[in-house]
Amino acid sequence: MKQALALLLAGLLALVVQSGIVRVVPHPLCPDLGLLVVVAIGLYWEPLPSGFALAAVLGYASDVLSGSLLGQHGLLRLLSFSASRLGGRQLNLRGVVPLAVFVAALTLAYALALHVLQAFFSGTSVSWMSSLGRATVHALVNGLAAPVVAAGIASLCSWTGDDEGGRRGFRLDRGTSP
Amino acid sequence: MPDFWRRLGAPIAFGLLALLTTITMVSDRRAIRDEAVGLPWWQALLLEVTVPVQKVLLSPVDAASSAWDRYVDLVGVQDENGRLQERVRELEEANLQFREALVASGHLQRIAAMRDDFEVEMLPAEIVGLDISPWFRSVLIDRGHAYGVRSGSPVLTDQGVVGLVTAASPSAARAMLLLDRQSAIDGVVQRSRARGVVRGRGTGELEFEFVVRGSDVREGDVVITSGMGGVYPKGLRIGVVRSLADPGGRLLQTAVLVPAVDFGRLEQAFVMMHRGPTMELLYGEPGDRDVEAKAGSADPSAPASANGVARVETPRP
Repeated sequence: MKQALALLLAGLLALVVQSGIVRVVPHPLCPDLGLLVVVAIGLYWEPLPSGFALAAVLGYASDVLSGSLLGQHGLLRLLSFSASRLGGRQLNLRGVVPLAVFVAALTLAYALALHVLQAFFSGTSVSWMSSLGRATVHALVNGLAAPVVAAGIASLCSWTGDDEGGRRGFRLDRGTSP
Repeated sequence: MPDFWRRLGAPIAFGLLALLTTITMVSDRRAIRDEAVGLPWWQALLLEVTVPVQKVLLSPVDAASSAWDRYVDLVGVQDENGRLQERVRELEEANLQFREALVASGHLQRIAAMRDDFEVEMLPAEIVGLDISPWFRSVLIDRGHAYGVRSGSPVLTDQGVVGLVTAASPSAARAMLLLDRQSAIDGVVQRSRARGVVRGRGTGELEFEFVVRGSDVREGDVVITSGMGGVYPKGLRIGVVRSLADPGGRLLQTAVLVPAVDFGRLEQAFVMMHRGPTMELLYGEPGDRDVEAKAGSADPSAPASANGVARVETPRP
């Protein structure tokens, strides 16, 4: 419970920090810290139901701080969490390069899904190709920032590792078998 | 029960949360469509909590940004000030040389002849500055509303249309050039009377748009103002057709114009003291009528009034 709360606070803090960075750094060059925290939670937090809940809550918080439809980021963060969990099991995302590549690809998919949802719900046709350049830059920035955020979340999990989820998360981080 | 939850807890949680997010998206979309006023209580609460927390947490960022703007960034201001002072010295020297060159080349005689071509009042003005941004094309002139210059007043030279005054202070005004992307004038080909709209391209050329396919427009044709649109009087030179674009399958044709005015050497211009009806509607104020009344009461026979306004004759394109 303590660890879940710590991760929730870390996710909310990441959103606040992100909104501060956006003031001084152009949007595509500002890493999506909220998304990166969700990905890291998917990699280092074991209990799935509470992980889904954490991802959805952080997504809703993103919705409140952005101009999207309420639940848009919530749903996509839920899917991102699932993707990172599946990716963590199928691929070796412990290394810096694989994680960066995975996050970059996930960011592109996230942007595409956001466009599709926007077009579906608002009924407006949004040109994805015109946004591709910005999305690519954003994906690269996210890929570069992902290992740092993941290391921070892993440290937080180990620091607050007082329950089963935290301990399993810590062991996964070290790559040891139970 | 624990076994059931362990096996199916994750899929159930995922399904429920996915359903919940979808429902909230739909309801949020409906609220926007129905123009619902106010946020649901829980969203409002989230915002209420978020805003003060953000303010507190971002105060160091704001303080650092403020300190940078107020103190550290002043180093740049000092450098910029030095460059601008140097630039002013250069411009003053160039201005002096231009005046000498004007007299020497007989430009003033042509300007005097131009005054005779118009029946409206024209105020001579010096071009004192160019737009510093590469994305906009405008000039600063040394006459403002103290001289009767108002937003919407056309600016001309003896060569043709320069642009339009967009802002005026007591002793200066900014005029948007024809070349600016926001500029558009109704024009007509002098030879064939084909009509269209002349737009700025943000470069040194103009675009003659909306010419109906089949219209008689050739390279070398002179395009003049049509008088439509209520901004510029009829018959002022805009430019010369340099090339015609291939219309392809479109019904509209585009021609590239070389401006009649040499904007690269623009030193002096005239501000028309009488605005068109559209400009009066856009910019007219009750006080403007008094200015016009005063201007109209000037002696028509005088070549120039006390503030330099000249009354001149009918336009000759």
